[in-house]
Amino acid sequence: MIFNPEFSAQQQHTTSPIVTGGSVIALAYKGGVVVGVDTLCSYGSMADFKNVEKIAQVSKNTIYVSSGEFSDFQQVVRELAKIDRSALQYDDGVHPSPRDYGNYLARLSYKRRCKINPLYLQNVIAGFHNGERYLGLVDIYGTYLESNFVTTGFASYFCKAIISNYWNDNCTLDQAKQVIRECFKVLFCRDCRAHDVIQLAYVDEQGAHLEQPERVETKWDFSGFKNRANEKLHTQ
Amino acid sequence: MNYTDILASKFEPETTGTTIMAVIYDGGLIIGADSRTSSGQFVADRCADKIDYIHDRIFCLRSGSAADTQIIAKHVRYYVDAHAQELGRLPAVATAANLFRNFLYEYKDSLSAAIIVAGWDPYKGPQIFTLPLGGSVIEQKWSIGGSGSTFIWGFCDSNYKDNMTFQEARAFVLHAVAHAMFRDGSSGGIIRLLNVTKDKIEREFIDYKDVPVK
Repeated sequence: MIFNPEFSAQQQHTTSPIVTGGSVIALAYKGGVVVGVDTLCSYGSMADFKNVEKIAQVSKNTIYVSSGEFSDFQQVVRELAKIDRSALQYDDGVHPSPRDYGNYLARLSYKRRCKINPLYLQNVIAGFHNGERYLGLVDIYGTYLESNFVTTGFASYFCKAIISNYWNDNCTLDQAKQVIRECFKVLFCRDCRAHDVIQLAYVDEQGAHLEQPERVETKWDFSGFKNRANEKLHTQ
Repeated sequence: MNYTDILASKFEPETTGTTIMAVIYDGGLIIGADSRTSSGQFVADRCADKIDYIHDRIFCLRSGSAADTQIIAKHVRYYVDAHAQELGRLPAVATAANLFRNFLYEYKDSLSAAIIVAGWDPYKGPQIFTLPLGGSVIEQKWSIGGSGSTFIWGFCDSNYKDNMTFQEARAFVLHAVAHAMFRDGSSGGIIRLLNVTKDKIEREFIDYKDVPVK
């Protein structure tokens, strides 16, 4: 085959996403970490896939969720699954810890950032290892942060205030879940790309537990909303 | 690049990315709309009323730039009011449609506005006029508009019938708007319905929990 330099020079760089997942919110609680995400993948402004389970369990005690381009999320899940398998080759019984996954993802994201062909994702890795909680955030550039609470997307604008006021890192699992549900109610009201069906998952010393999707209740029947009709505002 | 260009490029105008609909039935017409006003990805108003009063039996449904459509509706409301005072009787729906058309046509290069004018008058009964982007005026028996309308053309084309009863038309509008809100990220919230007949105007508020498709 004749080598054509014009074809090999052409390379795609994806800098705008097509199918996107929404905000992710994760909180540490006394005994573990809980993560919440909605079940929607949007195609631009269209709510195309409404029943997507977006929480990936990459090992016994680590879960991975992200917002952004969904195909990149699925590719990363494949990459992260390889780590545990290839660690078997050492035959020493040592499994990668949640921090190892976070670090690997940060390096992978940074490498792609340097090639101006990023993994279009804001990633959250949550886990529990050796009696310690782990919660990490890796963004589109490969910036790596560990924290007791992380948010991605629109949740970073709306939900940090709710989290600061109603959560502390010693709360119970149910309290942390309730804070996450409240955050998703606000997101459903104020984010065009949000859905009111969410999925929660938590990791504690027993390992990862993924729950069934649930719908959050939002209130719309305020009298101010009902009586807002323009016919009364003749001077508008 | 000066400051105004930089600021303008970061600021997404507030639009009624929306679903609006009007249907004539045997005896009147039904208007339906969602309640979401979006500014890019942000929901600026989650309980908006997109059914604007023009006259006692004339209403308009707005889509496109919220600023453009609000001010045009305000002008048309004033002109129709003055005209009706002089006329001494109910104005024709076509009059209101024509006044909207004058704005949308003359300023077509500067405006982003598409309007549905719907109402009842004693001369021709219930009428719907669709005014798309360029300023044309097209009379129809039923009309859908806004970004959400793209998702329900199939549903509406299959389910519309001439001379429906009030109940059939109400169910048609309710389900169509609900289906559009189900798929369009720029539409959502609650559904507002309005029934326009010779004798009365009836508003209905459909709470989110009663929306048939979620």
